[in-house]
Amino acid sequence: MREKKPTLIVTFDTTTAAMALEKFCMERRLPGRLIPVPREITAGCGLAWKAPPEDRKTLADAWTQAGLIWSDMRILLL
Amino acid sequence: MIQVNAIGDTCPIPVVKTKQAIQALGGAGVVQTLVDNEIAVQNLTKMAQQKGYGVTAQKLEERKFQVTMTVGENAANLHAEQETLCQPRPASGAEKTVVVIAAATMGAGDDALGKTLMKGFLYALGQQDRLPETILLYNGGAVLACEGSVSLEDLQSMEARGVEILTCGTCLNFYGLTEKLKVGGITNMYTIVEKMTQADRTIQP
Repeated sequence: MREKKPTLIVTFDTTTAAMALEKFCMERRLPGRLIPVPREITAGCGLAWKAPPEDRKTLADAWTQAGLIWSDMRILLL
Repeated sequence: MIQVNAIGDTCPIPVVKTKQAIQALGGAGVVQTLVDNEIAVQNLTKMAQQKGYGVTAQKLEERKFQVTMTVGENAANLHAEQETLCQPRPASGAEKTVVVIAAATMGAGDDALGKTLMKGFLYALGQQDRLPETILLYNGGAVLACEGSVSLEDLQSMEARGVEILTCGTCLNFYGLTEKLKVGGITNMYTIVEKMTQADRTIQP
């Protein structure tokens, strides 16, 4: 069983919002990656942005400035 | 006689413990092994037969079986040992088949042809004697489970006959089709991965 560690998870209301954010992050080499939304958050479906917890402010600032939308941001043990 | 208690042990431990006991005999003798499931009885019996030991098995009570092996003076390792099967191979009629529909078209080349081929595939799939356990639809395939799909009736018919039909929710959301799903349920990537990896075979047209 792999070790769990604190992880920043950002969720979205729509797939397209998640994909737009991913494109933005990749162009600017921002930390993190897109994953299927963890089961710990929902039994449903969707995409989530996963990043190290320490990058929370960097990401939130960059996304706010760019006018990008996200739904929820939290730290989980994953 | 050596007695081996393998109650609660998972495969292949009962066979391993029994082999160790037989070695400890240092020659002729009897080893009696207690197990709690039929598969272990089968594995032990097969092992004994391969090695030329006498073997009998008895059910003592629910989830308690006794396998008695008699090692003779001249018991020889007659056959190369076959692998112990920790899970029974399903009879071919019981194989879990998962069909993966990853696009609205079948094959690459002409899209109109591809749509026609996919329609034909889903129709023919429904005509088989043995239906798949699950059909997974994602990306371009997700539209086939929605209102207006030419394959809707075929999918609904298979669902009515027990086939589990699951469409990727992320994909439905992307295409704006979430409210238009007309057959089966919505699933996520983790379930899709589980269904595929736990299938005996996956078929992707």
